[in-house]
Amino acid sequence: MEPRWAQTGRDGPDDDDWGQQQPPSSLFLQLPSNATLRFRGNVAKAWGAALDEGEPPGAPQERDGEGAREQESVPLKQLPLCMAEKRILRLREQRVAWKRSRWEQWQVGMRHLWGQVRGALLYAQVWRGSLHRIEGHFGTGIQSYFNFLRFLVLLNLGGALLMVGFVVAPNAAFEGLQLNQTQRGQNSMVNRSCLQYDPTERGLVSYFTYLMDLLSGTGFMELTHLFYGYYQNSAVDFVGFSYNIPLAYLLSVLGYFSVCLLWIVHRAVHLLKRSLVGENWELSTYSHKVFAGWDFCLAPGTAAAMKHNSLRYELRMDLEEQTLRRLMAQRSPGQRLALFSLRGALNLLVLGLLGAAFYGVYRATEYSQRAQQDTSPGQQGLVLGLLVAYLPSIVITAANQLVPLAFGLLVRLERYPLSLEIRLTLLRTVFLRLSSLLVLLFSLWTQITCHGDPAADSCRICHYNHQQHPCWETSVGQEMYKLLVFDLLVLLLVLLLVEFPRKLLVTHGPAPLARLLGQQEFLVPPNVLDLVYSQTVCWVGTAFSPLLPLLHAAKFILFFYLKKLTLFSNCRPADRTFRASISSFFFLLVLLLGLAIAWVPLLYSVFVLQPSQACGPFRGEPTMWSTLWVAIDTLPLVAREFLQFVGSLAFAVPLFLLLCILMFYLMALDHSYSCLVKELKGQLRLEGQDKVFLVTQITELS
Amino acid sequence: MGNKQTIFTPEQLDAYQDCTFFTRKEILRLFYRYRDLAPQLVPLSYINKPDVKLPYELIGSMAELKDNPFRQRIAEVFSEDGEGNMTLDDFLDMFSVLSEMAPRDLKAYYAFKIYDFNNDDYICKSDLEKTVNKLTRNELTPEEVSLVCDKVIDEADQDNDGKLSVEDFQHMIVRAPDFLSTFHIRI
Repeated sequence: MEPRWAQTGRDGPDDDDWGQQQPPSSLFLQLPSNATLRFRGNVAKAWGAALDEGEPPGAPQERDGEGAREQESVPLKQLPLCMAEKRILRLREQRVAWKRSRWEQWQVGMRHLWGQVRGALLYAQVWRGSLHRIEGHFGTGIQSYFNFLRFLVLLNLGGALLMVGFVVAPNAAFEGLQLNQTQRGQNSMVNRSCLQYDPTERGLVSYFTYLMDLLSGTGFMELTHLFYGYYQNSAVDFVGFSYNIPLAYLLSVLGYFSVCLLWIVHRAVHLLKRSLVGENWELSTYSHKVFAGWDFCLAPGTAAAMKHNSLRYELRMDLEEQTLRRLMAQRSPGQRLALFSLRGALNLLVLGLLGAAFYGVYRATEYSQRAQQDTSPGQQGLVLGLLVAYLPSIVITAANQLVPLAFGLLVRLERYPLSLEIRLTLLRTVFLRLSSLLVLLFSLWTQITCHGDPAADSCRICHYNHQQHPCWETSVGQEMYKLLVFDLLVLLLVLLLVEFPRKLLVTHGPAPLARLLGQQEFLVPPNVLDLVYSQTVCWVGTAFSPLLPLLHAAKFILFFYLKKLTLFSNCRPADRTFRASISSFFFLLVLLLGLAIAWVPLLYSVFVLQPSQACGPFRGEPTMWSTLWVAIDTLPLVAREFLQFVGSLAFAVPLFLLLCILMFYLMALDHSYSCLVKELKGQLRLEGQDKVFLVTQITELS
Repeated sequence: MGNKQTIFTPEQLDAYQDCTFFTRKEILRLFYRYRDLAPQLVPLSYINKPDVKLPYELIGSMAELKDNPFRQRIAEVFSEDGEGNMTLDDFLDMFSVLSEMAPRDLKAYYAFKIYDFNNDDYICKSDLEKTVNKLTRNELTPEEVSLVCDKVIDEADQDNDGKLSVEDFQHMIVRAPDFLSTFHIRI
C-alpha cells in the first residue's frame, strides 16, 4: 500500500494557482535538499534496514552538524525518527559503547545524571499544579504574570533569609542570651537634645491607639526588630570573636541588593536566550500568529472557544492596522503638520498630568508628616488619624490608578497604530509609578534635611531635623511599611467591592447592564506594574526595616492566592494574545529599573546623610559608610591596601574604560554579523531562483 | 494495576527512557492513559510486544486533544500508517515531542509536518488557508484569509518559490519566541 506521503504527484490544482509554469513536484522530491527530511510510516523499516548496512546515501546527519552521531552529542530522544528507528539506533550504539574508554563512559554517565537532576528540579517547582491549571484555562500570557509573581516570592524569601540570618536573628539571640555588649561610637561630643527619642506611649492609652500603631508602625511597633531604630551600635563578644552589629547590618543590606541584582540579571539572560530575538521580530507577526498562535495546552471547553475568538480578532485587527498604515503614508503635508501639533499638545498635557500627580504626592507627604508630629495620636479619632497617616499612600495609589486611565484616553486621540499605542501607554505608566515613589522619597528628604540646608534653624544642631524626626531612618521605614499595608488593603477592597459585585451583576443582573459592563478582563501589564512597584517599595525600605523582605514575601504569597481566586471566579481571557516571552523579558527590565531606582536612596543615605544619633546601629558615627572604613583598618596590611586600591579612582577609571572598549567591540561584532546575515539571505534567494530555473529547464528538455 | 515489572521488561523501559523525554513513572502513567482509552483492546502486559493499534476516534477524544483544531493532523503525523491509528510507541513519541523538554528544532520539524496538509513537504498557500480556517473556525472571510496567507508567505519565504520549505519554516520559528511554550501539551 502506497503511504499517503508518496501520493504527492496529484497536486495539480495547487500548481496552477501560482499562475506560472511550475514543474511537476515529483522532480522537486528528488532533490538532495529533500532527502534531508526523514519520513515516518512505511519508510521506517526501509530506513532501519539502510542503517544496518552502513551509512545511508541521503546523509541526513548534515543538519545536526558534522559527524555528530558518532560522538553521541545529539541525544537519541532529540532525533526526529519514529520509535522503531530510535530503538535500532540505540542497539547500534550499545554495541559501540563497550568499546569506549573509561573517560567517555564517565562523561556519558555524568550527562545522564545531569538530565535526571534537571528533570527532578522541574518537578520540585512551587505551585506547579496551579500554574498548569492557569495555563490550561487562560493561556501562556496570563501564566507569565503568575510566573513573575512566583519569582518575586522566591526572591523575597531569599533576601529575607539573608537579612534575618545576619541581622535579626543574631540580635534576637544576643538579647535572649543576654550577652555582654560593648558600646561603640563617640557619644560624648554630641548635643543632649539630639539624643532625645522616646516613641513609647505614656499615661492612659486609648484602645484604638494599638490598632493605629499596628497599621502605621508607630508606638509599640517602633521599638521592635522591624525597624532600624531598635538596633544597638555595639559589638557582641560571642564564642571568641566579636560580632560587630553595625558592620553586619551594612554588609547584609549591600549583600541583599547585590544578590537581587545577580538573580534578576541571571533570569533575564536565561529568558533572552530563549527568546533569541536576532532581528526585527515585528516583521514576522503574521507567521508567528498562524504557526505559534494556538496554545496546545488549552483545556477543552470555553478556553478553546475564547482562543479561537481572540485569534480571529487579532488577525482582523492586524489587517485593519495594515490598511490604516497605508492611509497614514498617504497623508498630505498639511494633515501631517496638524497631526504632529496635536501630538505635541497632547504630550504637553501628559507632562502636565504627571506634574500635577507629583505635586500632589509631595504636598500630601509634607502635610502627613507634619500633622503626625504636631498632634499626638490620642487627640484625633481613629479614622482621622489613619487617614492622615496614610495620606501619601492614598494619593500615590489614586494617582497610579486614575492617571493611566487618562493616558489611555489621550493616546487614542494621538492616532498611533495599535501596537505603538499599547507600548506608549505602558512606558508612560512605568514612568509615573516609579517617579511617584521617588517624589515621596524626595519629600521625606526635604523634611529630614530641611531642604538640604544645613544652616537652617532645625537642622543646625544635629545636621538633621531632630524635632520632627528624632530617628529619621525609622520614619522612612514606617512610610514604606505603610505603603505595603495599604497595597494589601486596596487589593482586598477592590476584590470585595469591585470585582465580585461586577461578576454578580454580569451573571444575574439585567441584560443591557451586563452587556455594557462586560465580564472583567485580566490585563497583564497593569498587574505586573503593580508587582514591580511593590518590589521597589520593598527594596527602598529594606535598609531601614530589615524584616520588610519577609513581610513582602508573605504579601506576595497572599497575592498569588487572591489573584488566582479572582482570575477563576471573575475574569475572562484577554482579547489580544499576550506575547509571553518577549514581555517577560521586558518586565524583568522594568524590575531592574526599579532596583536601580532603589539603589539611589540607599547609596545617598549610606554615604552622605548623617545617621540618627538617638537610635539605630550607626548612632555616633559620622556616616554609615565610616563603619566599614573603621573595620577595614583592623584588617592586616595587605588586605587593607588591596581594598583601598580597589576603592580608589586608579582602579575604577581603567576598569570603566576597559568595559567601554569591550562594549564597542561587541557592537562592532554585532553589526558585522547582521551584515553577513543580510548577504547570506540574498544569496539564498538567488539560489532558490536558480533551482526553479534549472528544474524548469530540465523538464522542458526532457 | 500491575507493577512495572509485569507491564514492561526492564529493557523495554530503558529503551523508552532513552528514546523519549519521560521518566519511568511518566511512561507508566502514559501507558495507563493509553489503556484507559480502550481497556478491552490494550493488554496489561507489553512483554510479548503485542501489535495493538487504537483507532483515531479514540485518540481524538482525549481531553488534551479534544478541542485542538489540529488533532487529526497530529495523529496522522505521529501514526505509523499515516491514518491516525496509533500504537503505544506512536502515542509515547507524540507526547514526548509535545512535552516541555523537547528542544525547539525537534518541535519545529514536527510542527512543519503537522501544518503540511497535503504531505508534499512544502507548506503551500492551500495548506496555509486550511490552517488559518482551522484556527479561526472559518469565521474570517475568504478575502481576509487570502490576505493573511499572502502576508505569511511574504514574511517567511526565503528562497522565493511561493511556498514554505522546511528550512524557511525552521528559520521563521527560531524567531518566534513563543513557539516553545505554545507547542506543548502537558499530560
